[in-house]
Amino acid sequence: MKQVLEGSQAVAEAVRLAGVQVVSAYPITPQTHIVEILSDYCATGKMNAKFLRVESEHSCMAALIGAQSAGVRTFTATSGQGLALMHELLHWASGARLPIVMAEVNRALAPGWNIWVDQTDTLAQRDTGWIQLYCEDSQEVIDTTLQAYKLAESVALPVMVVLDAFFLSHTYEPVDVPSQEEADRFLPPYEARFQLDTAAPCSFGPLVPPAVYMEMRHDMAAAMDTALTNFARIEDDYERLFGRRYGAVEAVACDDAEIVFVTSGTITSTTRLVLENLRGRGEKLGMVKIKLFRPFPVEEVRKALEGAKKIAVIDRNFSFGASGIFAQEVRAALYNAPDHAPVFGYIAGIGGRDVTPEVLEEIYWKTKHNALPERESVWIGLQEVSHGS
Amino acid sequence: MPRSTLSTEANKTGSWRYLRPRYEEKTAPCSAACPAGEDIGKIEMLTTQGLFKEAWETILRENPFPGVCGRVCFHPCERSCNRGEFDDPIAIHSLERFLADTAERYDLKPLMERLPGRPEKVAIAGAGPSGLAAAWFLTQLGYACDVYEASPEAGGILRWGIPVYRLPLAALQREIAQIEAQGVRIHTGRPVTPDFLRDLEKSYSAVYLACGHGRTTSLRVPGEESDGVGDGLKFLEGVRGGGQPAVKGVSAVIGGGNTAVDVARTIVRLGGEALILYRRRRQDMPAFGDEVQMALDEGVKLQELVAPVRIEQDGGRTLVTLRHMRIAGEEGGRGRIEPDGDRTSRVVVDRLYKATGAEAAEGWHNPPAGKGALALSHCVLSLRDGRPAMAWGGDLANDIKSVVHAVASGKQAAIALDTLFREGLDAVLLKLESCTVGNGPSLSMEIHMGGERRLRNRHVVAYGEINTDYFRYAPRMTQPRLVREERVRTFTEIDLRVSGNIAMREAERCFNCGLCNQCDNCHLFCPDMSVIHDQSAQGRHINYDYCKGCGLCVVECPRNAMTLEEEIR
Repeated sequence: MKQVLEGSQAVAEAVRLAGVQVVSAYPITPQTHIVEILSDYCATGKMNAKFLRVESEHSCMAALIGAQSAGVRTFTATSGQGLALMHELLHWASGARLPIVMAEVNRALAPGWNIWVDQTDTLAQRDTGWIQLYCEDSQEVIDTTLQAYKLAESVALPVMVVLDAFFLSHTYEPVDVPSQEEADRFLPPYEARFQLDTAAPCSFGPLVPPAVYMEMRHDMAAAMDTALTNFARIEDDYERLFGRRYGAVEAVACDDAEIVFVTSGTITSTTRLVLENLRGRGEKLGMVKIKLFRPFPVEEVRKALEGAKKIAVIDRNFSFGASGIFAQEVRAALYNAPDHAPVFGYIAGIGGRDVTPEVLEEIYWKTKHNALPERESVWIGLQEVSHGS
Repeated sequence: MPRSTLSTEANKTGSWRYLRPRYEEKTAPCSAACPAGEDIGKIEMLTTQGLFKEAWETILRENPFPGVCGRVCFHPCERSCNRGEFDDPIAIHSLERFLADTAERYDLKPLMERLPGRPEKVAIAGAGPSGLAAAWFLTQLGYACDVYEASPEAGGILRWGIPVYRLPLAALQREIAQIEAQGVRIHTGRPVTPDFLRDLEKSYSAVYLACGHGRTTSLRVPGEESDGVGDGLKFLEGVRGGGQPAVKGVSAVIGGGNTAVDVARTIVRLGGEALILYRRRRQDMPAFGDEVQMALDEGVKLQELVAPVRIEQDGGRTLVTLRHMRIAGEEGGRGRIEPDGDRTSRVVVDRLYKATGAEAAEGWHNPPAGKGALALSHCVLSLRDGRPAMAWGGDLANDIKSVVHAVASGKQAAIALDTLFREGLDAVLLKLESCTVGNGPSLSMEIHMGGERRLRNRHVVAYGEINTDYFRYAPRMTQPRLVREERVRTFTEIDLRVSGNIAMREAERCFNCGLCNQCDNCHLFCPDMSVIHDQSAQGRHINYDYCKGCGLCVVECPRNAMTLEEEIR
C-alpha cells in the first residue's frame, strides 16, 4: 500500500515488517525519529519487541551484541558522534559474525557542531567489517532495510543502511509499504547458527591465538565476497515479489557518455535531473550510482565506467590528508583495469550544504574543460573566509 | 563467532584487580545522633521484615525505655535522618512507640544477653530514667543493683513530671516492671541522705547518684514567694499524684521549656485558662515544637519577649510586672535578648506558676569538679582512696536535661564502672572510646558486650553515599492523634496507636544507611559472577580469585554497606 512517509518512517516500517525482537538506541539527531516510532511500536504492542533504553551508543551496541547472540533479530539507529562512540563494538559485532542491522543517518562530525548531512561518519567505519548500503530515496530505504536482514543473515555479517540527514531522513515521499504477508514471504524468520544457550554452555568470544585468528579473519573476508553475490540474488528475490531492484551499482546513460558522474545518496537524484538537462543540450553525461559500498563492487564499477572518457566522483565526505573517499575507492577499483579514464575528485555539500543542479553543472564544466584533474580533490563552492587574528 | 567449551577457571582474573570491594557495614547518622546510640537502621530493617520482637529487643539492648522514649523523646535521630534530604525523615519515634505497644499487646518478654555474675554490687540513688537505665545496663553486665528512691513510686520525672496525656502510667509501669524482672531491686520511700550514703558506701562497691533536678529554680524576682505563686514541677507532681487543683480563671506560666508547656496544658485540661510568659520567642523555646503547637491549638496563650520583674498580690489576684525584651543577635542557635529600653507592662492573673528550669534539691547532689573527678560526656566519675567509686549522672551531670540523655548517662556510668571494676581506672577512657557510635558521644552497650555491632565502621553514612536510584518518594506516616476538642477535656493519651501495616510501610522508607539488608544487588550486578552465596551471616562472600575490582557491587549497593579500597599487594 502506498503511504506518504519520511525516510525515517520508512526505516521504522521495514524494521516492524522484519519482525525485529530487540531494539536499542540512544537518541541523536537526525536519527531520533526512527527510534521514536519504534519505541512507540514496542510500547503499544504494534511490534512484539523489547526496546532497551541505554546510556550511550556504546552500551546500545553492546546490548544488541548480547541480544543477537541470544538468537533474536535486532536493530538500532544512530548518527555522527553516536556511530563514532560505537566504533569499538562495530568491530565486535562483525567479528562475532552477528547479523545486526543498523540505520545510519549521515551526520557531520563535530566540532563545529553540525547536525546536517556528511558521509564521513559512516565512511570512517569502512574497515569495521560492516556491509554498507547507501540509499537515495524513501522507497529505497524501506526496500533496502528489509533486504539488509536477509543479506546480513545470509553471510553472518552486520549491515548499515545509510541515509542522508534531513534530505532523506526528514523528507516525505510516497512509499509502497509491503504488507506483513508479503514481507514474510521475502524474509523468513531468523534462525541463528549459534546462540547463547544455558543448556549447552560455552563462552562466546574467548581468547583466539595466532594459530586460529588469521583464518577467522579470512572467513570474514570470504563472507564479504559472498555478500556481493548474495546481494544480487536477494535483489532477484525482491524484484520477483515487489518488482523493484536497485543494483549494487546503477549505471545511467553510460553507453555513449563522455563524462560519467559517480554519486551516492540523495545527490544521485539531483544528478538524474542535471543529466537530463545537459543531455537535452547535447552534452554526453552519464552517471554511476554506488549503493553498495562494502563490499565494494569492483567489477561492476569497472564495467559501468569502461566506456567513459572522464570520470567525476562527487564526494560528500573527506579523508583528511587523502581525498574524497568514494574517489579513492573508484581510483583503486580502476587502477588494474586496462585503459581506464582519469578520475576527477570533487568535494561538495559538506556539513549539509546544498548540492544544487548548478553545483553539479559547475562540476560538469570543470571536468569538460580540463584534460586531466587539476588536483586529487577540488572543493566546490568554497567561500572566502577570514580567519581573524 | 569464536566459541569455546573449555573452562576459563584457570585464568584467575582477580589478579588484574587494583581495587578491592568488601562487605563493611557503617554507621547510620540516626544512631550516632541518638544519645542512647540505638541501632535505628537495624531496628527499622527488622520492623520492615515484620520481626517486631527482634526489633524491640534491639532497642532494649541500648535503651530500656522504648515505650517512654517513643512518646516523650525529642528524637534528634529524625533531624539527622538522611531520608530528610530525599523527602521526609523516617518517623523513628512513632516506630519506637509502635514496637513498645506491640511488646505490651503480646506481653513479650525480652531475651537479653547477660554476662556472668560479678562480685561487685552497685547502689543507685534515684529511680528516674538515669538511675533505672544504669541498673538495667549494670544488670546485663553481671552486677547486682539496688535502686533507692525517695518517693513512693519509681519513675522520677517520668512518674511525677510528665502528664499522662503524653506518657500514660501503664506504659511507664510496664517498662519499670521489665527492669525489675531482670533482677533490679527498687526500694521506694528510701531517700538517700548523707548519712544513708555513708551506709551505702560500706556495703556497695560503687554508688551512682542520679536523683535529678527536682527543685524549680528561683525567678529572683520580688514577690515570688507569695501565695499566688506556685511551683510548676510541684503542680504537675500533685496532678500526677491524683490531685485536682483548682485552676479557675487565668493562670500565668513563666518559662519556655517542656515543663512550662505541660503545666499550661494541664491547666487547660483542668478547666482553666493558661498564659505562657516567655522571655524569648516561640522559635527559641526549648519545649518541643510539636508540643508548643498542640498547646496553642488547645487554647494556651503565649506572650513572647517578656520577663517578670515584680509579682504582687492584689485583692486575691496576682499582678505581674513584665519587662519587655528584644532580640539583639543570636547565641547558640537561639535569640540573644536584652531589655527593650524601659518598656514594661502589667498583667493580672489568678495565679502564677514558675517553670523556668530546675536544679538539684540538695547542694551535695552536684558532682565535684576538678582534681579527682573524671568528667565524661554524660556523667562524672570520682575515685577516692579506700572508698567506693562514685558516679553522678542524669540531670546532675548532663547539659541537656532530657530523658534520653538520662539514659545515656546511665549507660556511660555502667560501662565506666564495669571497666573500672574489671580493668582499672586507666582503661575507662579507652573503653568508652571503643564503644562510641559514629563520632560520639553516643555509646553502644552492644559494642561493649562484644556484639556484632562492634564490626561496623564508625564512618557515618552521608546522604550522598546512598544510591537513591533504589528508593521511591513516599510520604512520611502521619501520627494519628485525638482531635483537639477531645484533648482539651481529658487526660487521655493524645498520640494513638498505629497498625503494623502503617509501621511496616514507614520502616520500609528507611535507607538502613550503612547496613546490609540482603537485597542481593551485589550478586545480581557482579559481571564476573564473583559474589557467591553462602551460609555466613553476610549470606555471601566475594571470590577474589575472579573479582576484577570493577566496583559495580559497591556502586549498586543502595545503602553503602560495601567498601571499595585500593588493593595492597
